[in-house]
Amino acid sequence: MTEKAGGRKPPLWLLWSLVTIVLWGTWGLVSKIASDGVDAYVNQLLFTLGIAPLLVFVGWKVARQGPGPGETAGGRGRGVFWAFLTGILGGVGNMAYFEAMVKGGKASVVTPVTALFPMVTVLLALIFLKERLGRVQWIGLGLAFVAIYLLNA
Amino acid sequence: MVVWLGYAVLALVLWGITGVTQKLSTNRISSERSFLWFCWAMVALSAVVAGLARPHWGLAPLVVVCSVAGGALNGLGAWTSFRALESGGKASIVISLISLFPLLTVVLAIVFLHERLTWMQGAGAVAAIGAAILLSLEAPPKAEA
Repeated sequence: MTEKAGGRKPPLWLLWSLVTIVLWGTWGLVSKIASDGVDAYVNQLLFTLGIAPLLVFVGWKVARQGPGPGETAGGRGRGVFWAFLTGILGGVGNMAYFEAMVKGGKASVVTPVTALFPMVTVLLALIFLKERLGRVQWIGLGLAFVAIYLLNA
Repeated sequence: MVVWLGYAVLALVLWGITGVTQKLSTNRISSERSFLWFCWAMVALSAVVAGLARPHWGLAPLVVVCSVAGGALNGLGAWTSFRALESGGKASIVISLISLFPLLTVVLAIVFLHERLTWMQGAGAVAAIGAAILLSLEAPPKAEA
């Protein structure tokens, strides 16, 4: 009863989501500051240095947990391949994002443009994974093109 | 098209492809194992890039700190987004909510970097964030025939 009177705690997923917004939102700011002094290649080296402690932590957790439920040796090999490819594409994408800022793009414009990446994902999912788009996603796709036009005007 | 926009669109396309490759990965292995190999790929990419990089002494400490912080913030953000999904949040809500992150960048850039947006750019930024949210919403399941 007293717990009810004290109010409800926000759900954990909401807190993690808000923390993500703060982390990624701040990433855009620090990237723009860094783009004043280093090129995209050097930034990639320093960027990886920043991700290294997390690599050690997650590596330790994965080693402790062992294979996940439903993971097979064959499936794991393919899963690792796609994860590795994701990292390579993501890393080159990071370099392009950084280079956009080096070339004079404002953080307040470059970040919203690159955040439109789900438009490519939904188009690829539509073509290759045979997924279906809802009406809302079609509107989002149209709005994405409007956004790019406005930002380029 | 201005040069910076070309690079921004390249990032958009590459990150868009990762949306599919990430799904193909997490269909087979846990999100943490997937993230681990994502990080190893970053290390491999950096090993290749090291040959192209022209690091020079005398980099401003602020620039170095910001570059390293960029990696830490990006990686931690990816990890906390997985935690949000694993903590019971619906993917359509969590991903749409997280899509608001550029809004914080816009505010921080205006406050700390004194960036100014034209009316068109401001409308474009708002449209982009709105579009990212709409695109992140899951389509309803296909009705049985």
